[in-house]
Amino acid sequence: MVENVPFDQDLLEKLKTIASEGISNAAHGFSGMVGRKIEVSNPALKLVPLLTIPAMVGGPEDDAVGIYLRFEGDMVGQIMMIMPYQKALELADLLMDLPNGTTQRMNSMERSALGELGNMCGTFFLNSLAKLAGASIMPSPPAVMVDMVGAILDIVVATAGGISEQVLLMQANFMDGPRSVEANFWVIPDMNALKNLLKKNS
Amino acid sequence: MRKDPISLGLGERAVSRNPEDVLVAYGLGSCLGISMIDPQTRISALLHAVLPGATNGLSASDPNAHKYVDTGIESLVDAVVKEGANKARLIVRIIGGANMLISPGMANSFDIGTRNMESARRTLQRLNLKIAAEEVGGHTGRTVHVYVGASRVTVRVIGEKERDI
Repeated sequence: MVENVPFDQDLLEKLKTIASEGISNAAHGFSGMVGRKIEVSNPALKLVPLLTIPAMVGGPEDDAVGIYLRFEGDMVGQIMMIMPYQKALELADLLMDLPNGTTQRMNSMERSALGELGNMCGTFFLNSLAKLAGASIMPSPPAVMVDMVGAILDIVVATAGGISEQVLLMQANFMDGPRSVEANFWVIPDMNALKNLLKKNS
Repeated sequence: MRKDPISLGLGERAVSRNPEDVLVAYGLGSCLGISMIDPQTRISALLHAVLPGATNGLSASDPNAHKYVDTGIESLVDAVVKEGANKARLIVRIIGGANMLISPGMANSFDIGTRNMESARRTLQRLNLKIAAEEVGGHTGRTVHVYVGASRVTVRVIGEKERDI
């Protein structure tokens, strides 16, 4: 799938380094916040077509939770963390140190816990990127949505307008001892800006 | 055995006169679903449009036309008329166009949903087509089904049952 991407392997490798540094900083920050050690696996990073996302999260009508932020500055783009509703409940349990199956609904407490997680992961990723590229990137506060997968993804699709039809997928596992929940992030940067930014500094 | 519904992805459309067909667009957020039914011939159609307008002067026959509300509607009308529907009899419904971002600071910054809705109203008015029913705006995603045989259109939002509009 990667061959026909206007994107070289080098750049992807560089982004992998950025992603794992960013995510591990985020895990560190998050552990400090909840007072327990939350670990995050080394994230996998790949390029995928935007249109394959609904199928990867279940289906366009499935219930899901989305955490969304945008960034501006030397580089413009958006980050969406999306997961099936059931997974979001498990992740909320893990973050709030509750036995699995305790959280039954996404209320304001659960939303804000997940929002903070998305916020930290997104911000730390952007910080690593900014540091490496010597650029200034500012993220927006996170928005948390509970809705159908298709509806949540419309935000990304409508804003990207089909320009970047390939998006960066970052997959990471959040772990607290033996418990583990997988989360997917989709980073939709302005690909050209990203390329230039990283080329300039390599 | 019941036939699987014909599922329309982003920027796709379908026209059918087969009474067994069900056309569906799942999880419309800011996207807009536009259905057209000629009750006499039962020719039914559904469009899943993504953006308000084609900026670079696309014609209604361009393969990308269905991605946009304006060219998509024009092309849909052409298609149903070609199939044998009478334009004057068309019952048009619009569904979707929600504003999915309700976080402070982001809310109205790029409300594609509202712009999609406005584009649909403008285009339909220009084509002399009335909107029979609409289920638009707000902050929730919607799934729309068009049952060709029954000339029915339904909407479903998360956590609720499907209902006719």
